Amino acid sequence: MLEDGDIPETDAQERIIPTVCSCHCGGCCVVKAHVKDGIITRIETDDGEEPQLRACLRGRAWRQRVYAPDRIKYPMKRIGARGEGRFEPISWDEALDTIAGELRRIRNTYGPEAILFWGGGGDMGMLQDSGKRMARLLALMDSFVNLYWGIASFEGGVFADMSTFGTYWTGSTRDDLLNSRLILMWGWDPSVTIQDTNTAWYLAQAREAGVRIISVDPRFTSSTATFAHQWIPIWPGTDAAMLIAMANVIITKNLHDQAFLDKYTVGFDKFKEYVMGQEDGVPKTPEWAEPITGVPAETIRNLAHEYAKTKPSALIAGIGPGRSAYGEQYHRAAITLSAMTGNIGIPGGSSGSRSWGTVGLLQIGPGMKIPKSPARDKPVQPKNKLPNRATAPFGHGTVNSCLLNDALLKGRAGGYPADHKLMYINNSNVLNQWPNTGKTVAAFKNLEFIVVEEQFMTPTARFADILLPSTTFLEQCDLVMGAQMPPNYGYRTKVIEPLGECKSQLDIASALAERLGIADFNDKSADEWVEQMLQSSYVTDIPALREKGFQKITLPEPHVAFRKQIEDPDNNPFPTPSGKIEIYSQVIADMNKPDLPPIPKYIESWESRNDPLRAKYPLQLITTHTRRRAHTQFDNIPWLRELDPHSVGMNSTDAEARSIKDGDMVRVFNDRGQIIIPVKIIETIRPGVVDIPQGAWYAPDENGIDRGGCCNVLTLDRPSPGWAWPTNTALVQIEKA
Amino acid sequence: MQLGFHFDQTRCTGCWTCVVACKDWNDIPAGSANWMRVSQIVRGKYPNLWMGFLATPCYHCLEPACIEACPTDAITKRQEDGIVVVNRDACLGRDKCAVCLEVCPYGSPQFGDKPDARMQKCDFCLDRWKVGKKPVCVMACPTRALAAGPIEEMKSSYGNLQQAAGFLYARELGPSVVLKPKDDPAVPDAG
Repeated sequence: MLEDGDIPETDAQERIIPTVCSCHCGGCCVVKAHVKDGIITRIETDDGEEPQLRACLRGRAWRQRVYAPDRIKYPMKRIGARGEGRFEPISWDEALDTIAGELRRIRNTYGPEAILFWGGGGDMGMLQDSGKRMARLLALMDSFVNLYWGIASFEGGVFADMSTFGTYWTGSTRDDLLNSRLILMWGWDPSVTIQDTNTAWYLAQAREAGVRIISVDPRFTSSTATFAHQWIPIWPGTDAAMLIAMANVIITKNLHDQAFLDKYTVGFDKFKEYVMGQEDGVPKTPEWAEPITGVPAETIRNLAHEYAKTKPSALIAGIGPGRSAYGEQYHRAAITLSAMTGNIGIPGGSSGSRSWGTVGLLQIGPGMKIPKSPARDKPVQPKNKLPNRATAPFGHGTVNSCLLNDALLKGRAGGYPADHKLMYINNSNVLNQWPNTGKTVAAFKNLEFIVVEEQFMTPTARFADILLPSTTFLEQCDLVMGAQMPPNYGYRTKVIEPLGECKSQLDIASALAERLGIADFNDKSADEWVEQMLQSSYVTDIPALREKGFQKITLPEPHVAFRKQIEDPDNNPFPTPSGKIEIYSQVIADMNKPDLPPIPKYIESWESRNDPLRAKYPLQLITTHTRRRAHTQFDNIPWLRELDPHSVGMNSTDAEARSIKDGDMVRVFNDRGQIIIPVKIIETIRPGVVDIPQGAWYAPDENGIDRGGCCNVLTLDRPSPGWAWPTNTALVQIEKA
Repeated sequence: MQLGFHFDQTRCTGCWTCVVACKDWNDIPAGSANWMRVSQIVRGKYPNLWMGFLATPCYHCLEPACIEACPTDAITKRQEDGIVVVNRDACLGRDKCAVCLEVCPYGSPQFGDKPDARMQKCDFCLDRWKVGKKPVCVMACPTRALAAGPIEEMKSSYGNLQQAAGFLYARELGPSVVLKPKDDPAVPDAG
């Protein structure tokens, strides 16, 4: 290491290899690795033309992650009880033979649906981690059954998009924020959650350009503090009520854009009847919303006026509030408000769709193909799922993924289509991240065989029977795409050789296919696959992309979602049955599901503030994001751990009432379980609400009490009727431990 | 010529990317040594809150307190660019001395946790500066809240203000930094 003041020696041996980090945060950020003697010595990021694709603190910590001493470097076999985390190293031969043997045995004994491949969104790439390679392998042995659908991050938002707009592609590029006169950040904290590289940078620029910014959130987040001019604290789970009350104000004052509603929507009249009280005798006024939301009626009224009178306004519906009971109603209400004010499809407006809205500007070749096999999921359309859901990603299947642990435990006896016996897990820390950890643990213990491909001994890895050492993105060739800003392709050259005996996901699957006697699994190297996928992309000079590591696609102007549908509706109907934005959805009505109304409504949920359970568990738990992790990734990385020690965030009022001081060890508990972690006393959260950032690794002690602070010990695996993920709906109590 | 920083407190989200980028570039292990430190300033009680952040490297002062206090002349200020650098071999170490840390109002002298730790601190990424690159913190910041270069250029581009929430303007030391403070409407002169 250089001493201060030394002249650096030139080092002809050091190369700078560009690649792209994409950790399931939504970002797609440049990482320029300095490599000497095959070792990464330091990292830089994009320093070229603006807008640069700068990596965040997690991207900058990759060197510490790839060389972490606790990397899994050898295949391992479980010794001791499942979940104890005791393993012994074995050879790849033994590992692959065992897995192949178990795949055959389980398939022959129980049938193909007994095998469950479970992928996730960890260290992501278009080739290596895509579920396609394992799907292909299983299909080639007639064992691929695709049963589970749903996206944990924002399924409530997808429900709203698919029913209201008829499409999943509902996002605008972030530079359109500079065209807004008002940005309404609803439960949105992109300086932490990223949701596309440069989102925070565009908000900073918008603020400096004079755009008015308001934030509605139970917490005074750093995005709120830095960008917003006004903060409106709200009770968790009540967002739909506030939006509906705003609609009431807008209608009462005749501020809605009736011409827009007439031309582009159906069903506004039915929504109006509900909002104005004709349907149920209860006008949804700000006075009605105040006790529900904890927001003063005058504040709601003023916000409604300001939002409706300022044009264009961008209502950005953060996906955190959508991960609540009836979260789909919040998302439907946000879209409806955007329609009522005529802000859809205009520069500086917003579709009102989920904040991590997919823009869909880039294309890529398909990569590995999944052959048809008799066992594959036949197109059974369950009644409880939108008919068009399969046209959006992760839409095939009959069981919503939130019900995984229930399905694993109950199987056919519980009405599920399969009795799973073997689970093959990769790119996923499902045991940690699924709601109701106690139940997930029981479900995992119930399986006959579990294979996990992992980089670290995560809570999921601890439950493996065979644990395979996986490479990181730096040790394999791959391809990524960034939605914005700007849209970009990332070419991932293999920067360093795999550590230890780690193998890329493609190599693992190829080796397994050989053991299984599958002749035609794969005929290409990773580089060749990436080449092929790029042939059907917007990249015209592939060698240049390979050398530079990334290519930005410059758009002549910001991409505005639904601009064509608004400017030329006759030739560009919305892909809905009516061809219009469906505020009233007959499709939803036909599903005839309780608590799934065809218009957006506020529905009081289980474990809300009015639940009698509050006598026992009075605090609302929310499970937000911390910038020290990307979900569960990076939890074990020292540079990041030291920045933000894991704790439960609690307002001083609630702490004082319990004689709890800052830093005390506290028990957070409800009927589902308990965790013991330190408390952090903060002013930046509503009293009555506590925050345990999601992603901390489950670590039960000898008494089974979690000391890692995994919030899902406390959450409930009860999805919303529209399938919104429920991890921000839970009641807990806290006491000194 | 005197080099210096600009920090825009209105853009900083307290994200720590500068902290980690610095640790990676300078190969500093996890532990108490942080050449870049980000502090969080929260004022008020719920719901009347104000929050800002301050990113503090070393300000390479015109009249550094650390140089004045150091008993072995381990710390020097470069003639050509005003960067304050430390010779670790000449430093007596944390256990025997650490006076520089006592006198610096910005906490810039760092030691870390190893036995007989010698002083280490921000050196304006001199290795980068010499090949025409800006300090790594500046190039890392996701909201472009940091800038660096000749302090006269910083002043002409960003103004002369040397105040911000959490920043102590030590006039007698002459920190080589200009800042854009984040205003707190409740405390108009708190910046």
